[in-house]
Amino acid sequence: MKAKARIRFRLALRNLRRQRRRSILSGSAMVLAMALLIFSRTLAEGGHEDWIEAGVRLGSGHVALQHPEYQARRTLEFRLTSEKREAAEAALASSSVAGRVVATAPRLAVQGLASSPSAALPVAIVAMDPASETRFSALQEDLSEGRYLEPDDRLRALVGTGLAERLKLKLDSRFVLTAQDADGQIVGQMVRVAGVFRTGIPEVDEGFVQIPLATAQEWLAAPGAVTGIAVLLRSSHDVGSAARALRAALADESSLDVVDWRRTMPELDAAVRMDDWADYIFHIVLFVIAATAIINTVLMSVMQRTREFGVLRALGLERGQVGRLVFTEGLFLTLVSGTAGVALGAAVVWIFFRHGLDFSAFWDTEMSAAGVVIDPVIVPRFHWSQLLWSMVVMLGIGCLASVYPAWRATRVDVAEAMKFDE
Amino acid sequence: MRTNGIPAVRTERVWKVFEHDGIRVEAVRDVTFRVEPGEFVVLAGPSGSGKTTLLNLLGGLTRPTDGRVWVADTEITALPERELARLRLERLGFVFQAYNLLPVLTALENAEFTLLLQDVPADERRSRVEALFERIGIAGLEDRRPAKLSGGQQQRVAVARAVVAGPALILADEPTANLDTATSEALIDLMAELNRELGTTFVFATHDTRLMERAQRYVRLVDGAIVTDERREGWRG
Repeated sequence: MKAKARIRFRLALRNLRRQRRRSILSGSAMVLAMALLIFSRTLAEGGHEDWIEAGVRLGSGHVALQHPEYQARRTLEFRLTSEKREAAEAALASSSVAGRVVATAPRLAVQGLASSPSAALPVAIVAMDPASETRFSALQEDLSEGRYLEPDDRLRALVGTGLAERLKLKLDSRFVLTAQDADGQIVGQMVRVAGVFRTGIPEVDEGFVQIPLATAQEWLAAPGAVTGIAVLLRSSHDVGSAARALRAALADESSLDVVDWRRTMPELDAAVRMDDWADYIFHIVLFVIAATAIINTVLMSVMQRTREFGVLRALGLERGQVGRLVFTEGLFLTLVSGTAGVALGAAVVWIFFRHGLDFSAFWDTEMSAAGVVIDPVIVPRFHWSQLLWSMVVMLGIGCLASVYPAWRATRVDVAEAMKFDE
Repeated sequence: MRTNGIPAVRTERVWKVFEHDGIRVEAVRDVTFRVEPGEFVVLAGPSGSGKTTLLNLLGGLTRPTDGRVWVADTEITALPERELARLRLERLGFVFQAYNLLPVLTALENAEFTLLLQDVPADERRSRVEALFERIGIAGLEDRRPAKLSGGQQQRVAVARAVVAGPALILADEPTANLDTATSEALIDLMAELNRELGTTFVFATHDTRLMERAQRYVRLVDGAIVTDERREGWRG
C-alpha cells in the first residue's frame, strides 16, 4: 500500500476513534440494521424455501419437462409419448444435470370427475409411479387413514379427506373416475380407496386423486406416456442453472419444454414475491436508519473539522484528496460496523434459531396460501448470495452516505477555515 | 540569498475585497510588494489592517479580487486548484497562530506530513524529521500527540512541519501569539537561525513587537495598504 493511502486510512481510523462515543452510537445503528437484515433475510429465505419445497413436492417439481403446449392446454393431446419421455429421462441422466437432481417423478395428470353413489365432483387426477413418488412427494406423511400406493397396486387410489367426506368414501370404498382419454373419448375407471390424506390445503383435500401410473396409461389409452416429469432439486436457487443445463441437453428436442416452478405455480410465485416485497420495504427502512447514522457521524465530524481541512489544503492536499479522506472515514465506519452487524445477525440466527422459530403462538389453526401449507416453525437458511447481497448493500449504503460529507469537505474555503477559533 | 533576481514572492496592484450583506470591505488595497529570497519580513499593523489577508494571498490560500501574485516565477493569480495545491506542497510552508497540528497524528507524523505527500521514502522522512527535532529542541517527543505537548512544543512541531521539506518561502500568521515570552523568544531564535542557515524566506503577519524588532524588513499596513516598508541594514537576525 502506498504511503499516502496508508496515512489516509490511519487518519480515517484515528478520526473515528477520536469521536469514539459518536462513532460507537452510529456504528451501533449500522450493526443493528445489518443484524436485523441478516435475521429477516435468513428467516424469509427459510420460509420461502419451505413454501417452495412443499409446493414443488406436491406440484410439478422445481422444474418440469413437458410438451410446450401442455402448460396452457392441459390435455392428453399434449402428452409426452414414450419416445419423448425416454429423451427427457436421458437428458435428466446426463452428466451436466444428474448431479443437481434429488428426485424425479413421471406423472400423467388429467382433469376428470370422481363419482360415488352419493355425489360426483370435479377432481384433478394425478397418476404416478409409487416407487418414484415416495422419494418425491411428502403426501405419504399426510395420510390420515390407510396406506400409500405401492408398486403392485392397480386399481387403488388415494383421496383427500374433503373428497372422501363429500363422496362418503371409506377405506376400500369403490368410486368411479371419468376423464377424456388420449383419443378424445370419455372413459371411466373404477378404483378403490387405499388411503386418505389430509394436507390442510382445501383445494388438495377436496379435489385431488392419486392413482398408479400404469393404471392411468391403460385406462386413458396412452401407453408409456406421461404429461410431464417433475424434477426435485436441492434448493430453489439451483433452478436457473438446472433449467439451463436441461435446455442445453434437450437442444435438439423442440417438442420438450423445461418449465420452472414459477411458471407451473404462479400463485406460489406471486406469494413469494409479495412476501419479498414486504421484506424489501422493511429493509429500506433499515437502510435509511443506517445511512442516516453514517451521514450524521461523518457530517458532524466534517463540520467540526473545518479548520483541519483548511490546514490540510494549506499543506498541499488537493480538494479530491480531502474528499477521499472523509469518504474513507464513512467507508471504514460502514465496513467495521456492517461486518459486525452481519456477524451478529448470523450468530444470533445460528445460536438461537438454528432449529427454527416457532410462530404457532400467532396462529392456532393450520394456515395455507397459494396451494401450500405454511409451517409455523420457520428454520432460517443462509445462502451465500444473501451474504454477498448484504455486503454489497452495506457497502452501497456506506458509499452513498459518505458522498455528501466528503463533498462538503472539499468545499471548505481555506482562508475562511483558518479564521475559526478553536 | 539571491536567485537570478527572481523574488521569492511578489504582488502587483493586488486587491482583496469582501462583500457581506451588501457591505463592502477592502481588506487589501492596491498592494504592490515583493520579497526577495532569504528575507525575514514582518507584516505589522493594527487588527483588520489586512496582514493575514495579504499573507493568504501570498500563499494562494485566497485569490485576489484584482491584481496579480507570483510565487518565484509562477503566477498563482488564476492557477488551477490542483496546480496551486502542488505549489503549496512543494514551495511553501505555513505556520499558524493556533499551531493547527492534526490532533490524531503524533508529532513525528505531523512533521513528516508534507514529505509523505511528496512521496519521500519512509526512512528518509524519519531521519529528516528526527534530525530537525534534534536541532529545534524537541527530540524525544516524536511519538506524542499534540494534546500531550505544550504550546511551545506544538509550535515547534508546526515549524518543523513547515520547514522539513525545504520550502523556499514560509508564511507565518501570528506564530508567537499564543506563546509566553520565553517560548516566543526561543521560537523567533529558531526561525531566524533557520533563515540564516538554510536561506529560507520568512514572511510573518504579527502584532508581536519582539518579532518586529528581530525582522530584517518591517512592512506596516493600515486599512489594507502598505504605509511603511523599511529594510534594516546590517541585520543579523
